[in-house]
Amino acid sequence: MDAFDLENPTPEHKLLRQTVRDLVRDAVEPQAAEYDESATLNRGLLQKCGELGLLGITIPEAQGGAGMDTVAAVIVHHELAKSDVGFTLAYLAHSMLFVNNFFHNSTEEQRRRYLSKVISGEWVGAMGMTEPGAGTDVLGMKTFARRDGNRYILKGRKALITNAPDANVFLVYAKVDERVTAFVVERSFAGFSTDKKTHKMGMRSSTMSEVIFDDCVVPAENLLGKEGGGVQNMMRNLEVERITLAAMSLGIADRCVEIMSKYAATRMSFGKSLAEHGQIQRYIAESYAMTEAARALIYSVARGVSHESRNRLGSDAAKLFAAPVGKMVADHAMQVLGGWGYCSEYKVERFFRDAKLLEIGGGTLEAHQKNITKELLRQIS
Amino acid sequence: MKILVTAKRVPDPEQKVKFKGNTLDQSGVNWQLNQFDEYAVESALRLTENASSGNARNGEVIVVSLGPKDVQQQLRSTLAMGADRAILVDASDENLDSEIVARTVQKLVEQERPDLVLLGKLAADSEANDVGQRLAGYLGWPQATFACSIEVTDGGKALLVGREVDAGVETKKVTLPAVVTVDLRIVAPQAVKNGVTAATHAYADGPRYASLKGIMAAKKKTIADSSLAALGVAATVRAKVASVDAPPARKAGVKVASVEELVQKLHNEAKVI
Repeated sequence: MDAFDLENPTPEHKLLRQTVRDLVRDAVEPQAAEYDESATLNRGLLQKCGELGLLGITIPEAQGGAGMDTVAAVIVHHELAKSDVGFTLAYLAHSMLFVNNFFHNSTEEQRRRYLSKVISGEWVGAMGMTEPGAGTDVLGMKTFARRDGNRYILKGRKALITNAPDANVFLVYAKVDERVTAFVVERSFAGFSTDKKTHKMGMRSSTMSEVIFDDCVVPAENLLGKEGGGVQNMMRNLEVERITLAAMSLGIADRCVEIMSKYAATRMSFGKSLAEHGQIQRYIAESYAMTEAARALIYSVARGVSHESRNRLGSDAAKLFAAPVGKMVADHAMQVLGGWGYCSEYKVERFFRDAKLLEIGGGTLEAHQKNITKELLRQIS
Repeated sequence: MKILVTAKRVPDPEQKVKFKGNTLDQSGVNWQLNQFDEYAVESALRLTENASSGNARNGEVIVVSLGPKDVQQQLRSTLAMGADRAILVDASDENLDSEIVARTVQKLVEQERPDLVLLGKLAADSEANDVGQRLAGYLGWPQATFACSIEVTDGGKALLVGREVDAGVETKKVTLPAVVTVDLRIVAPQAVKNGVTAATHAYADGPRYASLKGIMAAKKKTIADSSLAALGVAATVRAKVASVDAPPARKAGVKVASVEELVQKLHNEAKVI
């Protein structure tokens, strides 16, 4: 029997990982610091991802995608996040929150209009769910739509929307007669606008802003699914989102273990290398163990997640576990590097800033705790 | 054009080597495609596609390797880049030398009858740099080594091959069928001109990435198995490795007190000035 390879279940997964690593080495790593500094999205890089087929990774080949599975999506997020976590978030907002979600809920006619544009990267996509006054409590959203002949009129605001300043097309949730409904909204639609960029602590190579619907006119053919079908759309896509977000935390942890180990091996203090100090060994060894545990959980859960086969508990558990691991390992790396860790040159401070978001975005830790408990109780009652 | 490309897996040159007695310890080695062979695959693809028309295929690229079953992974990566099929000749590295490899490729050439055999100029592990030359000799075909550019000419009957030599770039014309070994610069944006792709077309620098489409397409491509016995190649190794050692560690330098002392040491001891 061939050796068990948790991270690469098939030769295709291994080739995919190599392609993303080549891309990261040549085109992602060299630009990461610059785009973090300027707080802009590297659209050229997103387009390059499109040329390689990464933007439609989960879309069937017959529809112009790569026809790959959730493990493949995890591999891409894991490898990209070792280098540029902010860009990875923009990639996720585009290819998971928009492309994957849109594909599974759209009609053939809607796919003909939008799919090739977003799979190629010609258009950037985003998803609008969160509002200034409603985050985890998503059903508390205020944005609503009313039917007006062969069109809908949307009114309300969305907040904290990744890719909003750059996106050409949005998957938007709004209530029709108090029932959550999904729409595809183009930037060019009358009454649509985005606010100025939202400043944030990390994930700065992805952009974020509010989205404003001021009697925004959406043609009826841009209703995604059916009226009141929004919650189902949302839930079906949540698992792949969570597991890919968890994979980003794993990427952060992997990179930070590497940085702190290399630094500890060469930096001398009190006549010996840092790595020979027991206190430093604890940071390194515990970081490694946590990272390996996150890896095992994420990749084993990913095998069971697809649009057809769900693993609600697994994807919640993976993100609940991995997000704090990413944050803690980045923190440990900074502690090992001391003053240098706090400075930009060694990159750890960027990963540290990026890591925190994963305890909040795509489900807060508290949301995962609630979901897991609820599901476990449902199973025994 | 039908092109046969050779590909060898080599240990990752970035990885620290370990020794086991008189040989390299291969356990725990990260294997990868020899980079010059990757360049050969890239040039073969450029020669057999119309890059001005969505990379439409215009020929066939067959990649061959000698090695254990694991080499399938490296062959699969060349298929994902776009090669059409592959042949894996079962062999272990210890039981091969350049002569056996060249004789094996010769047999495959006689079977496949390609118009061109493309090879990396050398493999990064042994750096023997002689399989291409031997092969051309055995076949009685013209050869051009260390190619930095290839241009199809005479209506597809010959190649103009640029070679970087000390005095500049030498251009050789070889009639097909021929053997060409490639150097680093063959993957420059305009190094390969096949007469079909617009002459102004510029590729991205370097070998192409395997796209996701390519990776999925590779699943359906074949890697045919063969063996030295099936090809009728005598497997007697004649080149023997006498010993394998790490380069000696660099000796510590000395500090000099003055420029005068430095000049004196360079003159009297190092004898370089």
